[in-house]
Amino acid sequence: MATVHDDIDNWLAADLYGELSGEEQRQLHTHLVECAACRKTHQETKTMNKILEETLAQQKPDPNFEQRMLVGFRNRIPERSGLLRLLSDLMRMRAAQVTAIAAVLLGLVQLGRMITSETATSPAARDRYANEQLFERPSQVVGTLEPARPGALAKSDELAAGKPKDVVLAPPPPAASETRSEVERDSKAYPATVPPAQAAQAEMVAKEAGGEAVVMNSAAEPSSAETPAAEVANRKLIRNANVELEIISFDDSVQKIAALATEERGYVATTSSQKQANGKLRGEVIVKVLPENLDRFLQKIRGLGELKNQTLGTEDVTKAYFDTDARLKNARVMEQRLIDMLKTKTGKVADLLQVEKELNRVREDIEKMQGELKYWDSQVQFATVTISLAEKDLEEPAAFLIKERSQLALYAPDVEKIYNDIKALASSRSRGMQITNAQLNRDYSGRVSATISMLIAPEESDAVIARVKSFGRVENFQTQTERIAQGGSGMSENAKTKRDKVELNVTISREEQEQAFQQTSLRIRTSSVDEKAKDLRTVAEKQGGRVRSSTFSRDPDGRELANVWLRVPMKNYAALMQALDSLGKVENVTVQRQDRTGTQIDEANAPADISIQVYRQGNIVSHQSGPLATLRRTLAQSAGAIMWSARMIGVAIAFFAPWVIAIVAIVWIAKRVIRARR
Amino acid sequence: MDASEREQYRAAIHGDREAFEMIIRAQSRTLFAIAYGILQNREEAEDVVQDSLIKAWKMRWRVRDPEKFPAWLCMIARHRAHDVFRRRRAVPFTHETIETNEPETTDTAAIDQRLHSALAALPELHRAALTLRYFEEMDYRTIENTLGLTNGALRGILGRALASLRKQLRPALASTD
Repeated sequence: MATVHDDIDNWLAADLYGELSGEEQRQLHTHLVECAACRKTHQETKTMNKILEETLAQQKPDPNFEQRMLVGFRNRIPERSGLLRLLSDLMRMRAAQVTAIAAVLLGLVQLGRMITSETATSPAARDRYANEQLFERPSQVVGTLEPARPGALAKSDELAAGKPKDVVLAPPPPAASETRSEVERDSKAYPATVPPAQAAQAEMVAKEAGGEAVVMNSAAEPSSAETPAAEVANRKLIRNANVELEIISFDDSVQKIAALATEERGYVATTSSQKQANGKLRGEVIVKVLPENLDRFLQKIRGLGELKNQTLGTEDVTKAYFDTDARLKNARVMEQRLIDMLKTKTGKVADLLQVEKELNRVREDIEKMQGELKYWDSQVQFATVTISLAEKDLEEPAAFLIKERSQLALYAPDVEKIYNDIKALASSRSRGMQITNAQLNRDYSGRVSATISMLIAPEESDAVIARVKSFGRVENFQTQTERIAQGGSGMSENAKTKRDKVELNVTISREEQEQAFQQTSLRIRTSSVDEKAKDLRTVAEKQGGRVRSSTFSRDPDGRELANVWLRVPMKNYAALMQALDSLGKVENVTVQRQDRTGTQIDEANAPADISIQVYRQGNIVSHQSGPLATLRRTLAQSAGAIMWSARMIGVAIAFFAPWVIAIVAIVWIAKRVIRARR
Repeated sequence: MDASEREQYRAAIHGDREAFEMIIRAQSRTLFAIAYGILQNREEAEDVVQDSLIKAWKMRWRVRDPEKFPAWLCMIARHRAHDVFRRRRAVPFTHETIETNEPETTDTAAIDQRLHSALAALPELHRAALTLRYFEEMDYRTIENTLGLTNGALRGILGRALASLRKQLRPALASTD
C-alpha cells in the first residue's frame, strides 16, 4: 500500500504509541510483510524506542518533585492576611468593581447633600411631629376659652340680674385650673375683704354669669351653666375704652358727652383741647361710667359724629388683687405682733429700736398695699372711656404761599462791572431787593465768573429782573413757581393766597466761556500760507470778530500749515464767509449748529466759531524715496528678519533642550537596566 | 474534564489556595515534561516549572474559562522555557564541547550522548511532545490538548521526530544490533 509506505514514519510512531486502530494495525502489518525497507525501519524504531525509554526514564522527576514545587510556591507566595486578600480578590471581579463604583457615587451624592445642608427628614419623624401638634391643640383650646368670654358678655346687657347668691355658693368646678381654684380658696378664706362698695360690680358679674349661662344653654344642658358662672363670680375686671370721633363742633360735643355721662350715672373726668393753625379744635375727653353701662354709653357716643376708631379692653386683675389682699392680712398680723412686742418693753434699747424700724417698714408696706387695692377698686368700679375728638376738615390748609425762583445766566465782556452794577442796584432799592449771597471767582487761568443770589419783593420783581437782564447777553432764564399750603395739606376754598419774595440767582460769565452757537470748520488751499493768515486777521476784525488762537507749522517736506480760530457775532457770519472766498480756494466746509430750544437766546449777537486751516501742498522730493533709500531700507529689514529668526531659534533650543536631555537620559538608563538583566 | 476538576480550576481562579495547590500536585509533572523537553536540563526545567506556577497564581484572574486553565498553565511553562532556552543560547556553551572531548568509556554513555545531541537538533515542540509521551505516557489526544495543537497534528509531529532521531542515531543503533 503506497500510502502506508510513504507515511511509514507516522504509522510506525503511532503503532509504537498504541494509537493505531485494529484495521490500521492490520494494514501496517500487511505492508511490513511486503516491504523490506519498512521492516528495517520498524526494527530500528523499536530499538530506538527502547533506548529513549531507558534514557529518559533517568531524567524523570523524582517522587518528591511535587512536594518541592509546593514548598517553593508557598515560600514565594506567602499567604496574605485575610482582609487584604479578600479586598484584592474582590477588586478582580467585575461585579465587585461595579459595586465599588456605585458606592463611590453614592458617597459623593451624600457628601453633596451634606455640603448643601439639605436635610432629609424621614417620614416617621414627620408623623411624630404631626402627632405632637395634635396633642398640643386641646390645651390651646382651653387657653382660648378665657379671652372668648368678654365677647359673650357684650351680648348679655339686657339680661336681668339672675341669682347671684347661687352663683357665689356654687362649688368650685372640678376641672378648674390651678389659678382659679386658688382664687376660690382665697375668696372663701377672706370673705370680709371684698369691699361692700362693689355691689355694682358683683351685680355686673352676676349678669355676665347669666349671659354665659344663656350662651351655654343654646349648646349644652342647663345644669352645666353654673360651672363657668362660678368662675367669674369674684372677678376683678378693669374695663376701658378708647373712641376717636370726628365731629362738627368741639364744644357742643363736650356738652353732649357730659349730659350722656350723667344719664349713665358717670362723670366727665378731664377735658383738654388744642387749637390748630386753621382755627379747628382737637381734644380729648375722659369719662368714667359704671362698667355695666359702658356698652350702652358707647352706643350713644357714636351718635355724636363719625366714628374713626374704637377699642374696648378688659384687664383681669383678680389674681394680683387677691394676692395683695392676702399679703395685706399677713402684714396686719405682723404689725399687731410688733406692737405687742413694743408694749411688753422687754429687752435692750437696740432691740426695741430694731422692732420700731421693722414696724415702720411693715406699716409702709401696708399703706402701699392698701393704696393698690383702693386704686384697683376705683378702676374696677368705674370703666374709663377716653374720647378723642377732632373737628371736621382739621387738615385743611390755612393759607397758600406762592414762591417764585428764577435762574438767570448772563454773558458779558466785563464780569466785574456787572457784578458791581447789580450790587449798586440792590443798594438803591434797599426795600424791594436784598442780596443774600454774592460771589466773585477768579481762577488761576484768569477766568472770572460771579454768582449773585437775591430776594426781591413780589411787586417789584418784574422790573428788577428786566433791569438785570439788560446788563449782559442772556444765555438762559428759568422761572419756577411753587404753591405751598400752610397749616395743612390738600385743597381749600377759603384759604388766602399770598405771594412770597421772589428768589433770583444770577450767574455771570465772560463771553469767552460762552459756547459757540454755531461752529464752522474749513480749509483754504493757498501758495503763501503766512500771508493769508495775516489777511484773515484783518478780515475778521473788519467784521467785528476776533482771532482767538492761531498756529503755524512747516514740516521737512516743505508742507506749511496754519490753523486760525475766529469768533464773530452771528449777524456778521455771512459777510465773513464771503470775505474768506476772496483769500483762496475754500474746501471741506462743515457747519455745526447747536439749537438750544426752550431757552431765550439773542441770536444776532450769539457767537459763531470758525476754525480755518490754511495749507500749502509740499513739492520737495522726500529724502525717504529714491534707490539709495530703498536699498538701505531693504538691508535694514533683512538684518532685522535675520535677527528675529536667530532669536526664535534660540527660544526653540531653550524649549526643546531639557526634553531632549531627559529623553536621552531615560533611554540610556533603560538600556543599562536591560543589559544588567541579561 | 469532569465537574469536580472544573470546580477546582474555578476555585483556583477565584483565589482558593487549596485548590491551586491541588492543581500544582496534579500538573507539575506535565509542566516539567514540557520544560524538560525544551531545555533538556532538569535543574532548569524545575526552575521553569516553579516560576510558571508562581506566575500562574499571580495572573490567575486573567483566565475567564476554567476549562482552559490547564492549557493556559502549559502555555506559560512553554513560553517560560523558551525564554530560558533563548537566553542560554546567548552565552557560549562551553561544557558541551568539553564533554564531547571526553573519552568515551562505555557504549551506553556514547549512545546517551548521541541521543541528547539528536534531541537537541529537534524543534522545541517535537521535543516537548516526545517528553510528554515518554514521561507521562499520555495518549495523542491529551498531548494535543496540552500543547494546544489541532486534532491529528501530533501524529505527523511524532512520526517526523522519531524519523529524525532514527537518522541521527542510525550508526549507534547498528552497533547495538
